[in-house]
Amino acid sequence: MIKAVIIDDERNSRDIIALMLEKYCPEVTVAATASDCAEGIARIREHQPELVFLDLEMPDGTGFDVLLGTREDVSFEAVFVTAFEKKFLHVIRCAEVELILKPIDKESLLQAVSLVRDRIAGNSSKQRYQVLLENFHNLQHASWKLLVQDTNGDTQTIFLPSVECLEVRQENCLFRTDSGQELLAERPFRYYADLFSSLPFYQVNNMQMIQLSNISQIDASHGKVLLKSGMVVEITERRRKDLLSRLQR
Amino acid sequence: MKRIIILMLLLYCYAVGTLAVNPAPDTLIAKDDFAASALDLRPYINSLSDPEGHLTIQQVAHLPFTSSPHYFHNFKKNNGQVNNCWFRLQIKNEGSDSLSAILFAGWHDFMYWYSKAPGDSATLLMQTGLMYDKGGVERWDHYGFNVSVPPGQVRTFYLHIINKSYNENPLMPALFSEQAFARFHNKEQDSYRKEAVIIQVLLGMLLVFFSISIINYIQLPDRSYIYFAIYILGLILFFALRLESKPYQLSFFHRWPMLKYYWDIPGLLFCFYLMYLMFGNTFLNLKERYPFMEQVFTWVSTVVGGLIIVCIYCILMEQYHLPVIIYSYVYFCTLVPFLVVFVALARRSRHHPLVRFFLYGSVCLYLACLGSFLMHIRPLGLLSALGELAAPSMLLIGGVLLQAMFFLAGLSYRNKLVHLERTRTQELLIKQLNKNKELQRKLNEQLEELVKEQTTEILRKKQELEEQRKIQLETEYDKKLTEIELKAIRAQINPHFIFNCLNSIQLFVMQRDYEYAQKYLSDFSYLIRKTLDFSRRNFISLADEITYLNTYLGLEKMRFENRMEYEIVVDPEIATAELEIPAMLLQPYVENAVKHGMTNPQQPIGQLSIHFNQIAADMLECVIADNGIGIARSRSLRTLPKHHQSSGMEISQNRAELLNKMYNTEIHIEIIDLSARNEADSGTVVKILIPQL
Repeated sequence: MIKAVIIDDERNSRDIIALMLEKYCPEVTVAATASDCAEGIARIREHQPELVFLDLEMPDGTGFDVLLGTREDVSFEAVFVTAFEKKFLHVIRCAEVELILKPIDKESLLQAVSLVRDRIAGNSSKQRYQVLLENFHNLQHASWKLLVQDTNGDTQTIFLPSVECLEVRQENCLFRTDSGQELLAERPFRYYADLFSSLPFYQVNNMQMIQLSNISQIDASHGKVLLKSGMVVEITERRRKDLLSRLQR
Repeated sequence: MKRIIILMLLLYCYAVGTLAVNPAPDTLIAKDDFAASALDLRPYINSLSDPEGHLTIQQVAHLPFTSSPHYFHNFKKNNGQVNNCWFRLQIKNEGSDSLSAILFAGWHDFMYWYSKAPGDSATLLMQTGLMYDKGGVERWDHYGFNVSVPPGQVRTFYLHIINKSYNENPLMPALFSEQAFARFHNKEQDSYRKEAVIIQVLLGMLLVFFSISIINYIQLPDRSYIYFAIYILGLILFFALRLESKPYQLSFFHRWPMLKYYWDIPGLLFCFYLMYLMFGNTFLNLKERYPFMEQVFTWVSTVVGGLIIVCIYCILMEQYHLPVIIYSYVYFCTLVPFLVVFVALARRSRHHPLVRFFLYGSVCLYLACLGSFLMHIRPLGLLSALGELAAPSMLLIGGVLLQAMFFLAGLSYRNKLVHLERTRTQELLIKQLNKNKELQRKLNEQLEELVKEQTTEILRKKQELEEQRKIQLETEYDKKLTEIELKAIRAQINPHFIFNCLNSIQLFVMQRDYEYAQKYLSDFSYLIRKTLDFSRRNFISLADEITYLNTYLGLEKMRFENRMEYEIVVDPEIATAELEIPAMLLQPYVENAVKHGMTNPQQPIGQLSIHFNQIAADMLECVIADNGIGIARSRSLRTLPKHHQSSGMEISQNRAELLNKMYNTEIHIEIIDLSARNEADSGTVVKILIPQL
């Protein structure tokens, strides 16, 4: 059984999460609900849940405030539930923390719950939330960290600015860092390409994505981009122009 | 004159018949009846030539005289040398009365008259001569020598004649009674008076010409006038001196008897040549018009100058005949060259009108000279005629006058030309000036036009630039507007709200509360539809806005489980259907009010009110009030990092500014935090003033 707490300022939201958990995830029991941050922290401390469904925006704060207030004494897995999120999406995703969008659909709820269940068994959440909160406080991607689950099932931490490029490796994604390290991630290239699309990265072709700060030279005549490490990647004409205009900005 | 002399001589010859013929050929026997007649003495006179001129009267008295009639001539004769001869006449008075007669032998250079009684020495009775006698008009009487022989006595008379001049006047000795000589004197006087009058008239005319040219020269300093004046002055002198040799006439220069000889010597005619050439040179302006002729004239002038010096030298040496010879040859030599020069000048006359005057004048003189020369040839022979060329025959005088008149006319014409030239130059100058003025004016105009064009161009460019800037600004505005509008729409239809609404609907469905779900869904659909509709429009009616806000607040109230109350109060005077307000202007403030109203721990129920008031005829006021925690505390409550801030309010502020700019209205937004006024109060009041167009 997994003990859960739901924190949301809207009753309708709390009700529907509870209702859906009851209906689709019988192994999860809702121990308590809270309508704001302060109450949420109190309920967590009171019930010591293993899983907390957290609304991001509440009248007296955000879901991060709840995490900050409870990380010292309570260890739990968090699942963010939000109607619409843009600002903190990358922070949450980089830390591989689950996020469910309202209105909640059955599949995402089930997937999140099953993942959390695995994590509770693996007991590897401490580092993840540390990274999440650090990233939340920095908010500048220049010092973000990225949690990556490799093909062996281990979780690795990568300093985001050190990533030189990402490459397609069949169903997985290969990370190269400027120190020459290579890391094969479990998730596909497409997942990271989407995640990084609003960060200072650029997909130069169908197989590769590079970090802009690592570009040392662009060879226009041969359609090549030279990276600081000496690596050469190919770029199509259309994307080269696009890249140039982005670099100018 | 010569004819008169010839007539006179014929008369003498006739008279001779009345004289008693003397048996002794060298002694004239005078009778009592001599008194009334004139007697040709040639048969009674013996002569002695003295070419050396050393003989005195004492010597001559002892020398033998021969009868040599060749000495006598009744016309002018060119001796070609000095003629120095002695004549001896013996008269024996056989009458009862003493003989008192007068001997006249012509006008000669030097004449000495001696009388000698037998056994006695000769005494000089009279000394005279053209070169010697300085007397006035009375000197002409000196040439009649007294012959007085007491009754029954014999007297010997010696006449010494020296003719230094090349031309010798008629030498025809005749004996006159006193009455006869008086008659002769009167006749001569009459005949010479005509010539003298002609010369005087000529002199007068020449003087007039001279005055005219001098006056002209003073008025208009033209060298040709002064040359002409000098030339005329020369002519005046020449003709005035001519008077000197007219017997019994008044003259001007009798005190210097030699003068007339100098001028009479043809060599001095070269002076006229010189002045003539110089005059022609300057008059015709040959230097510019006819440089070759100018050179010819200069050369000839130089040569003539040389000849003049030679002639003067000869005269000084008393070799009067040498200049005559020189002049003769020069005259013959220059006849053809003169013609050539005239022809050459004539060919130029078409381009040079002055040439015509010069030519006519020159040809007049030339022909007059030639004519006069030809006229002289017959009576005088070739050389003598040459010598007499300068003597003023009527023809020559006419020629000189014509020439002077032509020249004067030419000078006048030249003046006219100069005047015309000057006038033309002035006209040209004036024209040029006018042209210059015109040009200047045109240039000024052009410049003005240019400046105008440039100014217009600059203005146009400036305008263009301004327009461009305006367009750029407008584009920027448009861009900003679109951006802000998009942002505003996103902000206004808060995705949170949308998805939370959907979430709520989902819950009702799951709870099987279908009626509520349907109501919720229809309200939500209305709201979304209206939002989409309003986002395309700039203005909507107030009624629409109120309905929209009502629906929105109803949905919010449903979300917040009735923890919120709201009211919309509309001034009944407002015609809501007609009044228009900018679309989606109020929604962000209402949303903010809902948000803040829900966050006040002291107030369990959020109170929200919206008032529409007509505060002036053209001013609509909208007041959105809540009882929330207020803006300041809401901000401080936020734990989000500073760069996380709600942009909804800012967007709406921007939007108001944008609307003001776009529609030139004065929408005014005032946000009042009640807690700032009074600690006890809480809440926010947003006042929006919307002017009616």
